[in-house]
Amino acid sequence: MTNRENFLSLLRRQGYERVPVEFVLCPHLQEVCRKELGAEDYEEYFGMPWRRVDDLKLQDHDVEKYRKYYEKKPLAEGADIDIWGVGHEKSPNSMHMTYMRHPLEHAKTLEELENYPYPDFASADGSHQAEQVRKIKERDLIALGDMQMTIWECAWYMRSMEELFCDMMMEDEKAEFLFDKVTELSMIRALSYAKAGVDVLFLGDDIGMQHTIMMSEELYCDWIKPRLKKIIDAVKAVNPDILIFYHSCGFVEPLIPHLIEAGIDVLNPIQSECMDFEEIYKKYGDQISFHGTIGTQTVMPKGTPQEVKEAVWRNLEIAGEKGGLFVAPTHMLEPEVPLENILAYAEACRAYKK
Amino acid sequence: MAIIEEISELLQKGKVKNVKALVQQAVDEGYDPRVILNDGLLSGMSVVGGRFKREEIFVPDVLISARAMNVGLAILEPLLVEVGNESVGKVVLGTVKGDLHDIGKNLVAMMFKGAGFEVVDLGVDVTAETFVEKAEEVGADVIGMSALLSTTMGNMKETIELLKEKGLRGKYIVMIGGAPITQEFADEIGADYYTPDAASAAETAKKCVLEKHAS
Repeated sequence: MTNRENFLSLLRRQGYERVPVEFVLCPHLQEVCRKELGAEDYEEYFGMPWRRVDDLKLQDHDVEKYRKYYEKKPLAEGADIDIWGVGHEKSPNSMHMTYMRHPLEHAKTLEELENYPYPDFASADGSHQAEQVRKIKERDLIALGDMQMTIWECAWYMRSMEELFCDMMMEDEKAEFLFDKVTELSMIRALSYAKAGVDVLFLGDDIGMQHTIMMSEELYCDWIKPRLKKIIDAVKAVNPDILIFYHSCGFVEPLIPHLIEAGIDVLNPIQSECMDFEEIYKKYGDQISFHGTIGTQTVMPKGTPQEVKEAVWRNLEIAGEKGGLFVAPTHMLEPEVPLENILAYAEACRAYKK
Repeated sequence: MAIIEEISELLQKGKVKNVKALVQQAVDEGYDPRVILNDGLLSGMSVVGGRFKREEIFVPDVLISARAMNVGLAILEPLLVEVGNESVGKVVLGTVKGDLHDIGKNLVAMMFKGAGFEVVDLGVDVTAETFVEKAEEVGADVIGMSALLSTTMGNMKETIELLKEKGLRGKYIVMIGGAPITQEFADEIGADYYTPDAASAAETAKKCVLEKHAS
């Protein structure tokens, strides 16, 4: 099988020949890989199966226009403002992490939300996407459209979790408006990726915490599930073969049936500290596939290389010959993960014999 | 007392406006603010905490009830000062150095407030020195530390070590929490308590502080 055939067959649970290697490194570990392995581009060095296609390019989108939303409490010096107007404050102690500030946190009226200058994806430029997809596929790689933080997180980052949850609980029209607006914008981005021919569209919204779901099934189904389904339906109308990956951190078991109904194909990351992969696979493994399962709170930072390998092999055994598991560390690998464990993960994938 | 029970019930349902109106009505009718606080607002939050712990309700339900509690508290606070109401205890809490995540920590702060504590929230990226200095300054009973990242959870130990160094370890109840935290880790660094959720944290702290004050 070519890389593309192997990848698609693995995720469609139709068997596979090789186990693809995939992970994301924090800037510190990227530097470690450069120094220790001479890996200038770690995705190339480790032969990752996919490459990202750039999102739509916004026209004349000067994020300075969002600064006035922080007049009450100005952003810290050196803070960045992203394309949604969300402020990211840095700390010398926290490396690549930032503290998020929410431009619509203090909005009191629907009008304030309506008048907010949302990024104008309708007039954004997507002319680069088809060409990028073609080049990626020419290299026998999978073309990936990455647009996690699709609905709920995107709205929460602008409004703040507390305000948005309270709006939802009070059935406030502000929540209705914001979710519709974000869905409309995500829809434009998703359709553009689909039309450009990506193989995988990676959606996501965190709806799990470490031990429980973040909100009730009822609240999820009222507010978020129908909007996610709407996007997936529209994308699949363009390309029924597209694989929809969906990310949520934490424990999401009670919401998995809803995600399946919404149309997802692959669930990421199945945090081993929060859910038992074997149990999840038994319940849902004939309906969806999985990406992740190797714990970044436990075995990746704290295990021995042998323990990392055993975790990889154990989970591949659970999934069996037809596949359905794209085994990978559950999250970005942070500075405390030893390089030996990253190498052990990659070696375990390559050495695995069914 | 019907009105006090009603306040508790409306708070449990997250009826912010109704709680505000009824707390005002109870004040106008001459109820002792301590009764409105303890048997109305805090008793309601205690039910909410129990439900949250048992996973019958989730974060949004707690947030909306906490909001109802806060509007009630805003009315009561000046009156509580007048009658010299004493809180259950004081807690200083924050997210540890290097970590900027505060959703969990904020939820813990709400539950502590709902259990009758005075909460001094130190925010995020809090150094060991700040935890100890503030705890000393305000005369805290409890130091609460939060971390989301396996990268930063190690910094919890620094605060405990600094307390030991200054001979203050026995003075404070040290509690920790956050996604990657486990009881095993709490034992390893010598924290007094780890709890898996915000409601249990407040409940455990209240029990310990009351025991400590009684002894």
